Amino acid sequence: MNDEEMLTRGLKALAAEMESLSAPDTVELKLREAFRKQNVVIPITAKRSTSRYWIAAAVAAMLLIAISVVAYRVNYRVNDDRKLAKQGQPQSSPKVNEEPVKQEQQVAGIPQQDNPQQHAAKPKRVRHSNVRRPENMQLANHAEIATDFIPLSYMTAVNLQDGGQIVRVELPRSALANFGLPVNMDRYNEKVKADVLVGVDGLAHAIRFIQ
Amino acid sequence: MNPKNDLNDSDLLRSMLAGDEEALALLYRRRQAGVYRFALQMSGSKTIAEDVTQEVFLFLMRDGHVFDPARGSVSAFLFGVARNLVLRRLRVEQLLAPLGDDPEEDVPMLHATTDVCPLEDLTRAETIESVRKAVLSLPPKYREVVVLCELQDVSYVETAEILGCAIGTVRSRLHRARALLLEKLRPAAETEETGAATVRCFA
Repeated sequence: MNDEEMLTRGLKALAAEMESLSAPDTVELKLREAFRKQNVVIPITAKRSTSRYWIAAAVAAMLLIAISVVAYRVNYRVNDDRKLAKQGQPQSSPKVNEEPVKQEQQVAGIPQQDNPQQHAAKPKRVRHSNVRRPENMQLANHAEIATDFIPLSYMTAVNLQDGGQIVRVELPRSALANFGLPVNMDRYNEKVKADVLVGVDGLAHAIRFIQ
Repeated sequence: MNPKNDLNDSDLLRSMLAGDEEALALLYRRRQAGVYRFALQMSGSKTIAEDVTQEVFLFLMRDGHVFDPARGSVSAFLFGVARNLVLRRLRVEQLLAPLGDDPEEDVPMLHATTDVCPLEDLTRAETIESVRKAVLSLPPKYREVVVLCELQDVSYVETAEILGCAIGTVRSRLHRARALLLEKLRPAAETEETGAATVRCFA
């Protein structure tokens, strides 16, 4: 028997000897346990239901966005219609006062510009750094109707130039009569809103009533 | 009889990845012994063989979807994973200096068991043990070819798939490995012959 045959026989004997060897049963138990843990985390049915949930959520989000856009456009059109309707109102009706400070100047008797044409073409704005409007005033002006500022007796032009502050107050409806405004007797007990222009000296210089 | 026993390895793997625990059990029982023996013959350590077997199937559970049937069988895939894990463990083991001989680690796995002829059986056991040690002493790239082709009876084609090389490379490596084994086994035989001659001389 040559060396090659002896080697082959030895290798075959070794293979036969180890034929019965296998991994211990504990390995299978550990694997099955690991497999259960792994599949508890991501079961197939859960995957499907999760994907369905996300599809439903995406559709709902799309619908919500579409409804919001439509609602916004409708609301925008209604506001435009209101603006147009207000522009078409007669001069006698109370007008929306969008620049209370400018009105104050006129009331206080501040000298007007020499060129009336220029003033008519482009009203000059006088900025009062200390005059602050309530934060929601701009929005409120869209819905509120206000009278012109009515000067109070002790108002002076000097005080107004230094600046001022508008304070929203509520007054008894009878106060309207003090300024020569008509009073609805049916709502006599109700209160009425008013903006009071308070100067830097702490005194009230003008008032306007809000409806 | 379980109808899943008729399924091939690829079908079982697909079922296992879909969450079928029974498919995992069937695939494990079908393939674990080969993986375990391969790891044991490559490393000579039962601990490493157990760890590698467990890690191979854990990998299959986690990343079994990377298996491509077009590139080979599930068995070849498992041997390939086991090979990588064993080689990694052997590299780590080389870096760690052993503190002492672990009696459970390098125990000869072969014992005289038959009652026909105790001396013949002992001789056979010694031969097998010497072959086992010779195989373990081969460089890894030759050892893996011997283990797969000679001990696991894997075909050259499948061995080439497992190792990721050409069939010609497998053949040449096997040829070289056998030559190395003969070199390692020959001194022992020569020593035995020399010892016998010395005994005769004294007699």
